[in-house]
Amino acid sequence: MPDIVDIAVSNDSFTTLVTAVKAANLVDTLKSPGPFTVFAPTDEAFAKLPPGTVQTLVQNIPQLSRILTYHVAAGKYTQAELEQLGEVASVEGSVIPIRSFDGSFEVKNASVVAADIEADNGIIHVLDTVILMG
Amino acid sequence: MTATLTTSPTKLPPSTHEFAEVIHRLEAGGSMLPDTPENLMQIIGIYKAYAVPMDFYWRDLLYIAERVFLNPLPAFKYFLPQAYMDLPNHYAGDTADLRIWRGQATAHPELVEFMKKGETNSPMPKLLHHLWHDRINMEFAEACMRAMLWHQEMYTPVNRFYDYLETDEYVANADRAIRAYFKGNPLMLGLYKVFPDMFVEQVRQLSYYSNLGLFWEVMAPVFFEMSDLYDEGKMTTVPEAMDFLVNGIFAIAGRPIYHHAHINGECYEIIPKSKGFTWLYEAALPYVESVFYRTAPFRGTKSYNAQAGQVPANQADFHYGILYADVFPVGTAGIPPTLLMQDMLHFLPPYLVDYYKQYCRGEEDMLIQLGVTFQRSMYNVTSAVIQALRTALLYPLDDPNPGHLKANREFFESQLNRFKRPEARLRDIQSQDYR
Amino acid sequence: MLSLLIWVPVAGAIAVGFAPVPPRLLKLTSLIISGIVLLLTLWLVGQFDASDPAFQLQEYFAWLPSLGLNYDLAIDGLSLPMVVLNSFLTWIAIYSSNEKTERARLLYALMLLVGGGVAGAFLAHNLLLFFLFYEVELIPFYLLISIWGGENRGYAATKFLLYTALSGALIVAAFLGLIWFTDASSFTYESLAGQSLSLSLQLVLLVTLLIGFGIKVPLFPLHTWLPDTYVAASTPVAILLGGVLAKLGTYGLLRFGLGLFPDAWMFLAPGLATWGTISVLYGAIVAIAQKDIKRMVAYSSIGHMGYILLGAASLTALSVVGSVAQMVAHGLILATLFHLVGIVETKVGTRELDVLNGLMNPIRGLPLVSALLVLGGMASAGIPGLVGFIAEFMVFQGSYSIFPWQTLFCVVGSGLTAVYFVILLNRTCFGKLDNAIAYFPKVEWRERVPALMLVISIVFLGIQPTWLVRWSEATTTQMVAAMPDTSQPLALQTFTQEIFAPRISLGMQPEPLPRS
Repeated sequence: MPDIVDIAVSNDSFTTLVTAVKAANLVDTLKSPGPFTVFAPTDEAFAKLPPGTVQTLVQNIPQLSRILTYHVAAGKYTQAELEQLGEVASVEGSVIPIRSFDGSFEVKNASVVAADIEADNGIIHVLDTVILMG
Repeated sequence: MTATLTTSPTKLPPSTHEFAEVIHRLEAGGSMLPDTPENLMQIIGIYKAYAVPMDFYWRDLLYIAERVFLNPLPAFKYFLPQAYMDLPNHYAGDTADLRIWRGQATAHPELVEFMKKGETNSPMPKLLHHLWHDRINMEFAEACMRAMLWHQEMYTPVNRFYDYLETDEYVANADRAIRAYFKGNPLMLGLYKVFPDMFVEQVRQLSYYSNLGLFWEVMAPVFFEMSDLYDEGKMTTVPEAMDFLVNGIFAIAGRPIYHHAHINGECYEIIPKSKGFTWLYEAALPYVESVFYRTAPFRGTKSYNAQAGQVPANQADFHYGILYADVFPVGTAGIPPTLLMQDMLHFLPPYLVDYYKQYCRGEEDMLIQLGVTFQRSMYNVTSAVIQALRTALLYPLDDPNPGHLKANREFFESQLNRFKRPEARLRDIQSQDYR
Repeated sequence: MLSLLIWVPVAGAIAVGFAPVPPRLLKLTSLIISGIVLLLTLWLVGQFDASDPAFQLQEYFAWLPSLGLNYDLAIDGLSLPMVVLNSFLTWIAIYSSNEKTERARLLYALMLLVGGGVAGAFLAHNLLLFFLFYEVELIPFYLLISIWGGENRGYAATKFLLYTALSGALIVAAFLGLIWFTDASSFTYESLAGQSLSLSLQLVLLVTLLIGFGIKVPLFPLHTWLPDTYVAASTPVAILLGGVLAKLGTYGLLRFGLGLFPDAWMFLAPGLATWGTISVLYGAIVAIAQKDIKRMVAYSSIGHMGYILLGAASLTALSVVGSVAQMVAHGLILATLFHLVGIVETKVGTRELDVLNGLMNPIRGLPLVSALLVLGGMASAGIPGLVGFIAEFMVFQGSYSIFPWQTLFCVVGSGLTAVYFVILLNRTCFGKLDNAIAYFPKVEWRERVPALMLVISIVFLGIQPTWLVRWSEATTTQMVAAMPDTSQPLALQTFTQEIFAPRISLGMQPEPLPRS
């Protein structure tokens, strides 16, 4: 089975995410056995950010890593498990709340476009919005 | 305010909150400050007048954090060397990382002019200008810094700055810098041996100098650019001014916050950039909370009896910031806002001076009139922060999901609950008669 | 010479009233006229021989000899300070008036007329002439209050008119009685004139006179016209009423009560001292309870007039000269306070103690006015270094050996003065300026001038009291010495030499003068 990075690279909708992960030198981490739960924002999600945000982050790798690691949780959590937990701790340290409105699966203020994509070293949930701490 | 504004712009039923009108305005993408040309003119004018001294504040704050460092007798810490006047701003000029202001990266021309001869326009030596207080009042910047230091626990754990200051890693970094700074000074090194915590605490304070300096380095070009856009006729409404701030907050959110000390030509990374501290989480949000909302009662205007419960026991209940402040005692000696108002007075755009001359006591109480304007403008900045938080943590204003809209409304209501306090000025700034 | 002080303002009043002076020049014209009078007064001070206790610069024209009414003017150490005070405060009152008021022509004419009339009363050397000048004030003041006054002005003016008319009737009755019983040929003032009468007759006449002047001063319980009148009167009129007109009462007490009926005065002295003390305490305690700052100042006036009576009753050289000093001090301080309260009312729009707050605010408040108000309050409370202290201290020091209890209670009253002024100043000047109302117009420099002039004189006379007492000490000393039996001066002399010797010579004789 492909690992998390392989799945992301092979998918056209994660080009920004892959670029960012490479820039932040997180490729090796995400290739490690893990397991990880990755909340992967699509290209459209990054595009929704106001102008300049990504530029500043790319200029400052440690800060970029911090935002990216907020999208990763240690351990492998399926949608059902997450909904039951209600929240999960990110690798960044801050908590990611899991919300649901009318039965939809939402991670913080992002809607999950595709849930439970299994990878060799974890699981991916695809988000339509970049989530931020706070 | 027209009746149409009181109806909810969203699909939700009208809010029943005390500030329903303001909430509906926020839900429509507006600001807490009513959108009138008069308000826009006032706040843009004051942003510009604020940005010029701010251009000095951030430079001097960094100078103190990086160079003056632990000088036990820092008598000349406000005497900014040319190198720091010329320090390129990271968000202005050709060398910018991200160009926010189209102007120059070095100190603002009006600031350079003022530094030469001051308000008195006299060729007396710099020291006399300083003692006569004919200068930029850095004491105000330090008061803001101290507010951040004192309220440093807020927004933890998202704000990592405070936790880091207490780590062994930080203490080790500070220790290296302290030893290097006092190399060859047995007296201070001896004192350091006896009172190590005191010295480390001083370095923590210097880290806040750096923090605030890096925060304001961004805000000065933001305000300059807004002023230029207004002058060019490209900024025409209060919500536009707020949106510019929201975009600015997002654009710079990832800007690193750090503390480097330059001692004997060597750079000591007391807080390295690699810690991942960001402008938004470690500087902007704590700044807004500590300076706009909380701060502390000033000495000099009113006596507070802590034993009688006149000062809250809980720091989170402090509400002495600009959003709550009684501006009228401005002019009384020894209160930090007087210093800021005095600084801004020197750089008011002419249209604002003419405006003030028409009201109240004209030139005589301009200090208070501009203070009230400043209060209005900071309500607009706070609106930008609230909208930015809503964007970052919640949902778009036009979200089709009513559940999301409801969450947005709850957020707005919880934010405005803080202005239900009797001393809050949100009610006052809704009217033009408050001046 | 003395006539000029009377007839220049009267001629001025006629000119302002009937000559075609353009409305915008009315105030200026009046100021120039009263300024001339003030300069004439100062010149008069230069002519005055302070070492001579007797009447000086006498002017005499037979007028109605058959009636005993002659135009007879003279000045001595008792009247000189009053005349100066009158000229000064008249100028101040005219200065602090508002020329934009309706019927300005009449206002200035009346104020000048009043100034001349009061000067006439102080200068009169004939009982009937005094009475004429005394009565001449009545109608102008009635008009000044009822036309330009504030709330309840009609009621206040009528009350003032009735009380003052009664006062005048009593005074003229006493004068007539004196003449009839002594078979004097004219109404010419002669010190100790009543001594030839029996004590009981003297007492009847003196009590009549006391009530008459007691209304004017006023003393408790004859004071009830005062709070209404002072409060209803506009600032310049209040300055004239409290600063000058009330002095006619105390001046009358000293000049005619003490001067004409020495035996009866001696006899009644303990009662008079107690009466003064009651007025002091009453004025102070009622002032504490006031919620209107103008009314508070008005009641403070009742209290401060009590000291004058105490000093006059004690009949020591020091206490009587203290009484005269207190008249001047009270005039200056009360004028200052009324003027400042007037500014506060104009700018803030209220006199309510519960509404006023934080006027010391440096930019939006009335900082200089507040500072001067603090100084005026301090002067009124008798803080050393200010003129109020000098006067009160002389009265207390002079009276203690004669009436220790009354003096002690007056000292307590002086302490109570500090209480209500602390209340007034604390509420008005200090605290937080209410944001909702704090959009007062600024105080112009020209509005501050009267208060500054008054305060300068308060401070100057406070640190240089010789300038206050040197004019009257010869006269008052002689008045005391002429009393039937004064056993006290020796003790006093020791005191005065110790305290004032380097600066003031009270001109005391080592032995009491022989009785006349």
